[in-house]
Amino acid sequence: MEKKRILEEGLLEQYLAGELSTDEQLMVENALDADASLKEHFEQLEADFEKMAFEQAIDPPGRVKNRLMDSIENMALKSSNRYPLWVAASFALLFGLTSFWMYTQWQKAEQNFNTLEQQTILLKERVDVLEKEYTLTSTQLNQINGPNVIPLVLYGNQKSPDAKLVAYVDHNRKIVIVNSQGLPVLPDSHTYQMWSDVDGEMINMGTLAPKQELIPLKYIEKAESLNITIEPAGGNDHPTVEELISAAPL
Amino acid sequence: MGADFADIQLINRLEEGDNSALYQLYDKYSGALYGVILRMCQNEDEAQDLLQETFVKIWKSISQYNASKGRFYTWAYRIARNTTLNSLRNKKNLIQNDDLGVYETKVEEENQKEYTLLKGSVEKLEPHHQKAIALVYYQGYTHKEAHEEMGVPLGTFKSYIRQALKQLRKTYANELVWLSFILETIA
Repeated sequence: MEKKRILEEGLLEQYLAGELSTDEQLMVENALDADASLKEHFEQLEADFEKMAFEQAIDPPGRVKNRLMDSIENMALKSSNRYPLWVAASFALLFGLTSFWMYTQWQKAEQNFNTLEQQTILLKERVDVLEKEYTLTSTQLNQINGPNVIPLVLYGNQKSPDAKLVAYVDHNRKIVIVNSQGLPVLPDSHTYQMWSDVDGEMINMGTLAPKQELIPLKYIEKAESLNITIEPAGGNDHPTVEELISAAPL
Repeated sequence: MGADFADIQLINRLEEGDNSALYQLYDKYSGALYGVILRMCQNEDEAQDLLQETFVKIWKSISQYNASKGRFYTWAYRIARNTTLNSLRNKKNLIQNDDLGVYETKVEEENQKEYTLLKGSVEKLEPHHQKAIALVYYQGYTHKEAHEEMGVPLGTFKSYIRQALKQLRKTYANELVWLSFILETIA
């Protein structure tokens, strides 16, 4: 159908000159691809067209070729000169992007490093504190956990019935350590003070704050009992007997 | 038939960046294309510029050439024709038609220079066939413009072209027979 139309309407002759619309051109090309005899007809037409062209040829002056060669070589040179520029620009862009990426990575790494450094310092401080606390606790535990340690509980009398104090006494090592967590809190103007009774004389062992776990006190030789009094803040040289809240024999 | 094998080799080389292939194509086809361009624009300087422009376009767009669709010359001819028509349209004294036409650009026959006249086998065609071929293939007319120019219906004009090309084929075929005969005689 298309072949008939193409031949009748002389579309091949128009196609040869390139004067067909895009749609018509496409239609003719499809028909040529699909129909071998039409293709053969067109090829013959093309061959005649080319022969006619050679018959009608007019030689152009030689300078046209020279001008063409100059023009082509210049354009080829420009495009080949542009090539390294493009390559350089591409590398520069790649380098720039890589540098930027590395810079951000570096910044991130530095930030991480600073955070880690701070965390390390904090951890070290905590370890130091824990170490100190461990050493202290370990020492204290060792002191109150010896085979010769005598634990004593001092209960408060009617002046301070809720008071309770645990004392650890080691005569071999001459150590007295007390746990004051059972003593009620006193006003700031007063403090607890402990005394050892030696032949009827009360010897100062030191003041003690309430609510403490382990307080080392002065060991007094030949003490017969331990006594707790309430004294003015800072302690007293002699015990105020009226303020005796607890006593326990050794 | 189809595209010439030697041409295809040259085109492959050109596509690979070998510019010397373009100059070989120029050597082969510049005369045929210059014949078309010069007859269309009727000005040697302009025709030479347009021929150069045509080959620059060929160089730039060689990758678009498809040998399975036709001969290199047909493709190059269309480039030359369009390049020339565009140049003619851009000239101030042209009045552009809504079609491809450039009526006002067509030079009156009496002013035509000798080199623009068709020669060879075409010269032996009947005058109306000769004119039809000249208008369409050597002066840039479309079929529509050309039949108006000749004052005949479009169908009649198309048959002029068909008959003219048929006649040319006969001539070329006879030439081939004669050439074979001569060669056999010599051998």
